Amino acid sequence: MSKPQDLVQGTLDLLLLKILALEPLNGYAISQRLQQISSDELRVSDGSLYPALHKLEQEGWIVATWRTTENNRRAKYYSLSRLGRRQLERETENWTRLAAAITRVVNLRG
Amino acid sequence: MRLQRWRYTLPLRWRALIGRREVERDLDDEIRDHIESRIESLIARGVPPDEARRRVRSEFGAVDLAKERCREASPMHVVDTLAKDLRYTIRTLWRSPAFAAVAILTLALGIGANTAVFSLVYNVLIARLPYPASGNLVSVTATYPNGAFAMMRDELRAMDAAVYAEGHRFTLSGHGQPLNVFGARISAELFAILGVEPALGRWPRPREDEAPRDRIVVLSHALWLRQFGGNPGVVGRSIAVDGVPREIIAVMPPAFVFPSARTQAWIPLGLDPTNTTGYWAGDYMPVIGRLRPGASRGAAEAEVRLFQSRVLARFPWPMPAEWNKDLAVVPLHDAMVGGVRTPLLILIAGVGLVLAIACANVANLTLSRAAVREREIAIRTAMGATPWRIARHLLTECLTLSACGGVLGVLLATRGLAVLKRMLPADTPRINEAALDWRVLTFAAVLAIVTGCGFGLAPVLQTRRMRLRSTLEAGGRSGGPAVASRFRRLLTVAQIACGVMLVIAAGLLIRSLWLLSDVDPGFQPREIVTARISPTLQVCEVPERCLTFYRSFEEAVESAPGVRGAALVNTLPMTGAIAKRSLQLEGFTPQPRQGAPLFWLTVVSPAYFDVMGMRIESGRVFTPADLAGPAVAIISASTARQFWPTENPIGRHVRFIGETGWRTIVGIAADVRGFDLKRSAPSFIAGIVYVPYNSSATVENGRIPSEMTVAIRTALPAESVAALVRARTPGEIALSDVRRMDDVIAATVAAPSALTRLLGAMAALAVTLGCIGVYGVLSYLVSRRIREFGIRLALGAQPRDLLWLVFREGAVLCGVGVAIGIAGATIASRWLSSELHGITPTDPTTYAVVALAISVVTMLACYIPTRRAMRVDPLIVLRDS
Repeated sequence: MSKPQDLVQGTLDLLLLKILALEPLNGYAISQRLQQISSDELRVSDGSLYPALHKLEQEGWIVATWRTTENNRRAKYYSLSRLGRRQLERETENWTRLAAAITRVVNLRG
Repeated sequence: MRLQRWRYTLPLRWRALIGRREVERDLDDEIRDHIESRIESLIARGVPPDEARRRVRSEFGAVDLAKERCREASPMHVVDTLAKDLRYTIRTLWRSPAFAAVAILTLALGIGANTAVFSLVYNVLIARLPYPASGNLVSVTATYPNGAFAMMRDELRAMDAAVYAEGHRFTLSGHGQPLNVFGARISAELFAILGVEPALGRWPRPREDEAPRDRIVVLSHALWLRQFGGNPGVVGRSIAVDGVPREIIAVMPPAFVFPSARTQAWIPLGLDPTNTTGYWAGDYMPVIGRLRPGASRGAAEAEVRLFQSRVLARFPWPMPAEWNKDLAVVPLHDAMVGGVRTPLLILIAGVGLVLAIACANVANLTLSRAAVREREIAIRTAMGATPWRIARHLLTECLTLSACGGVLGVLLATRGLAVLKRMLPADTPRINEAALDWRVLTFAAVLAIVTGCGFGLAPVLQTRRMRLRSTLEAGGRSGGPAVASRFRRLLTVAQIACGVMLVIAAGLLIRSLWLLSDVDPGFQPREIVTARISPTLQVCEVPERCLTFYRSFEEAVESAPGVRGAALVNTLPMTGAIAKRSLQLEGFTPQPRQGAPLFWLTVVSPAYFDVMGMRIESGRVFTPADLAGPAVAIISASTARQFWPTENPIGRHVRFIGETGWRTIVGIAADVRGFDLKRSAPSFIAGIVYVPYNSSATVENGRIPSEMTVAIRTALPAESVAALVRARTPGEIALSDVRRMDDVIAATVAAPSALTRLLGAMAALAVTLGCIGVYGVLSYLVSRRIREFGIRLALGAQPRDLLWLVFREGAVLCGVGVAIGIAGATIASRWLSSELHGITPTDPTTYAVVALAISVVTMLACYIPTRRAMRVDPLIVLRDS
């Protein structure tokens, strides 16, 4: 019920920001997209997706707008704010550096 | 960057605060959209609708939990949960009013008592003196007569010095009914050194305390309001003080209470070098001073010591070399409150212990409740509440209780402070300054929070150790963690120990006071009423007229109905300010470099010894013939032993220094506790001499005493005596201090008896709370084991076996508590030693009696739960489970 165990801690934020950088989406679409692009490798329980989104919203990195779907339901669409774009750049950079470092360690020949 | 962030986040926070319902609806809609979308997609793939719903639900997990975690993302969440916890707390407390009332009242008592005592301690001991730059004010721990002070004032360079003589009585006349007031004689610089401007008028000018320029008087604000109706025109007017016309030069502001709150008028010393006795042997007065810029206390002390070594030679008679030898210059604040520091610290330690006991009680109560609520907490945990969340809720509950207790406590403290002020002697320094200001309120608030956390920690620790499964499986019946019981026992032991310490302290003080009051004062105070007579100067200017007035007054009072005897004396025992004279004694040569011994001089009418019921050890009392015949004197027994250890002093002679005639000793009177109940005289007084009230009975100022006190042996109440004496006193003569001799004696132990009463009350409170604690713990243990008892009974145990089972529990708690308490008291009671008289702080009798009494009382508290255990009906208990 807590953090998705198969996700490196802190990377969920990065994934969400990246997905929303492409286009504004609602929660359900985000969860579908997560599964698609990571070919089911990264599973995020729906129960922890929403708290993560709310956290990003509170940080001011994503902003929400309400639209009405074709089934006449209210749906909350999230999009990246300017602040979020900057945050995404920072986190991408961090991730690349970290991944490269880890790769180097893993490839060490002893 | 920051600003930009606020642009996005501020509206969110605003909405969270204001549009709570909207936020909730949004959250619902968002999650519903997700779930419906997912269901639709599953149905589109051919999953049956019911199956789709079920699957989505299990995929998503607990919806409420997800929502709760979304809410937690908002910073406003903290406020929100707090509000929720508060609402919940108030609801639960509302549902158990008995628990809430007991807890809040207990805390209110503890916090209230502490707040009241703290306001006293703060304002008396900690707060600065209410004078500008009060850090520069100092006091010399020595006393000097007029002449020595006049020299000192001129010689000191490190500080400006002033003196005051407290405890004088002045008769104001020439303005309505003559009025006898408390006053002080002061040097001209006193007000300027303290730095207090008068409310009206001017400070005395330098040298305005020298005769004959000293015809001025300064009034207190209270006296000005009462006697002159607050008329600002009084400054410059003349009133008679003790018959001497004086110009009113100033009215002090209401807050000015130096040297004490009862001072109503100040008149200058009236320095007169031509009156040798008055100048060198009058009041021995304490010196205060203000350090001059750049001077240190050490420098001032060195200067005063140097002065001390020089002044001895200036006295008109040799002075003992060790007089004022161990003088020091101390901060004025220390000098003023030094005497009440220990009693006040004892009081605050006492109320601290009471609060600790109260806290333990409330902790016990909350523990009992937590035990009952184990099931509720277990369910909440199962529903996903984190331990932190539950702990926070329990703490909220405790803090709510302590906040209510705090508010009620502050209300109690306002009452309590008034009671404290009334109970403590009126001459307690700075007592009028004590008030509930913001500092005291802060203290109360901190106290409430600390106590709330203090007793709130117990249930929190308990729930952390609670095993969820076992509680739920056992239906919330057993599963009672052993930890909690052990903790409760610990609390009870601590309570009893604290209680024992307080009761021992109170017991020691009570025993000490009892020993003190049981002292034989050397006379029979029963059925004596006294009154002070202050004739005007017109009456007493000529000694013969004064004596004639008193003789006829004494006769008139003596012959009044209900009066068995009346006598006059210049100063009653235990009322201070006794006349002093240096004496030359026949056959006694002072040591080289030592002066003539200083005596207390008691001037009496012949009937004095009979009326007071004083024993004459040998010789005779004064007779009316002594008033006109050859000069005579009576000395006290200890004086006789000291100066004539081997021979009979009767028939020997003594002479007042500065006079020519010798007096013959005609009798030896038994010692009287003249100074207080402990001592017959202060250490610098070498002996006590009585002389008959006639024209040769002169005191320091070279005149006969004009203010006398009449002692009346009668069974009448003081009020009737007052009327009786008033009726026999001319209208222009002031009459004051009509009181029973018993009350005069009681006033000398006012401070210790106030301390004793207060600590006694605290001890009683501590024992009551302690008993409630013991009772609570045993009741709890019995209710926990009631099933076990039922089974034991069903299996053939006798009720008295159960009695022993429960009783043993209580006895062990009490025993351990009492033992620890006694050990603690042995260590802590040494702080009491300065307040004890006649017993040591480890007085075994007191300890034994207290230990026994506490044991009996706590055993009684065990009785009710024990009886309940004995009356367990096995049938009912076993059926209920």
